[in-house]
Amino acid sequence: MSETSDTQQNDLPKVFIDDILMSLKYFTDEHEAHLKIIDTQVCINCKDKPCIQFCPVGAYRTQDGGTVQIAFQSCIECGTCRVMCPPANVSWKLPRGGFGVAYKFG
Amino acid sequence: MDKNQKLEFDVIVVGAGLSGSAAAAIAARSGLKVAIVERGQNPGSKNYFGGALYTHSLLEIYPDLWDRKPPLERPVTETGFWFLSKDGLVKATVQGGKVNSNPIDAYVALRAKFDAWWAEQAQKEGAFIIPKTLVVDFIRENGKVVGVKTDRDQGDIYAPVVIITEGVNNLLTQKLGLAKHDIKGDSAALAVKQLISIPAATINARFGLTDNDHGLAMSVMGDVSMGLPGLGFIYTGVDCVSVGVGVTLEALREAGIKPYELLQRYMNHPMIAPLIAGGRLMEYGAHIIPEGGWKDMPQLYTDGVLVAGDAASMVNALHWEGTNMAIVAGKCAAETAIEAHQKKDFSAKSLSSYRTRLDKRFIMTDLHQYRNLSHFLKTHPDFMAIYPTFINDALGMFFTGFGKPKGQLYKDILRSLTDRRPLLKAVGDIVAFGRTIIGI
Repeated sequence: MSETSDTQQNDLPKVFIDDILMSLKYFTDEHEAHLKIIDTQVCINCKDKPCIQFCPVGAYRTQDGGTVQIAFQSCIECGTCRVMCPPANVSWKLPRGGFGVAYKFG
Repeated sequence: MDKNQKLEFDVIVVGAGLSGSAAAAIAARSGLKVAIVERGQNPGSKNYFGGALYTHSLLEIYPDLWDRKPPLERPVTETGFWFLSKDGLVKATVQGGKVNSNPIDAYVALRAKFDAWWAEQAQKEGAFIIPKTLVVDFIRENGKVVGVKTDRDQGDIYAPVVIITEGVNNLLTQKLGLAKHDIKGDSAALAVKQLISIPAATINARFGLTDNDHGLAMSVMGDVSMGLPGLGFIYTGVDCVSVGVGVTLEALREAGIKPYELLQRYMNHPMIAPLIAGGRLMEYGAHIIPEGGWKDMPQLYTDGVLVAGDAASMVNALHWEGTNMAIVAGKCAAETAIEAHQKKDFSAKSLSSYRTRLDKRFIMTDLHQYRNLSHFLKTHPDFMAIYPTFINDALGMFFTGFGKPKGQLYKDILRSLTDRRPLLKAVGDIVAFGRTIIGI
């Protein structure tokens, strides 16, 4: 299976997620980040960093030195990172009442 | 309000989704004082699905549904499966006949609009909505839940019954120990969707719909998920089309792909792209679907607490059911709360009649019947890679085999299967799939 998915991966179109996120409305909490990396060193040691791939809004990005940063402002509160971060290194909370994504259509 | 006065209700509902507002409406209609605590700006602003709603469940809460003018999109007058190969499509769809029922069985909807209206109906029944408020914990007395703590100043709210309809990220249900573990990567899917604006007349022409009172809801299999365990979908709104794809969290991580690129790949498919060509992106979104169903179901009640909807893993992934279970379970929870108030007994034992109510409906029987579905997909990871493409090849060859000896044609068709999967294993797959959906 991995062989087929390797070849298939090549036909994935490049998508600039930021263009897509323009369609979303957010009420950003300027005082509190609801997502946090628990231990930055754990991310440096994490070889695959699958969060960069699986986050549906691309909120996880690598920095110089192998750390991972979360653009919590883009989060749509799906929960994938909480469940799938291999070393469970994400502190995941819901945004405070009224904050976060606000779907216009849903 | 006096600072020392306790904010008290008969029932607190956590989350103004389909289940929550249904529960609140039923409880309020019986005369109970009901509060719905909703974390979003408005009811609906956090809610997301494919998707279509099932008329039977809406009518169960509001028999006068149509007089209330629900903000639905198109009725589903054509539904079924589309099997995608890399560049082909086999459609197995049904229209007219049983689908042309009165009322029509399902309607396409947009949740932010619909759920706002759905909550408004609960409000008309007398429920009180507290928006922009997050429930962070419970208030306990003698080990029993007697209310909720919110993130507002002096945000404690008391009620002898709390109905938790918090959705798939059921952290409160976990906090109570009712769910023994978090969502699992092999039994939950991440679905991503684009809502695309297309003029109604163009939708009608492209999808072969007579008018705006005809609509389509399709499950799409095969190349849509690059053969990964998952499904795609396409739904027609009045002047918008929802296209999306969901794959299990584990498959997504293992494949190392970006979900929005998987979606774009689906939208670029030669059989799909013409349907949405020239459309403008109205909204993107993503949501986890708790596909584990029965096996991931938490304990459904405890002292002073009932759980319903996605929070209780009430999803039948194969039949796209979930919203109807959420609504009916919300109603069952409300009836249980009403009964508990009559008995003045809010103990787990008293609330256990919730389970009896669910057992009597399709909810528990269906979830039990499909309890092995996640396991089937996990143990047959290539199922979606093999069969949808085989169906395309087989039918494609069958209908183009002109001038070819038919004995050879059938051999070729069989070989297009056995090249992908040995015959005995293919038979085994079909038997295993049959057993999974029959539930034995």
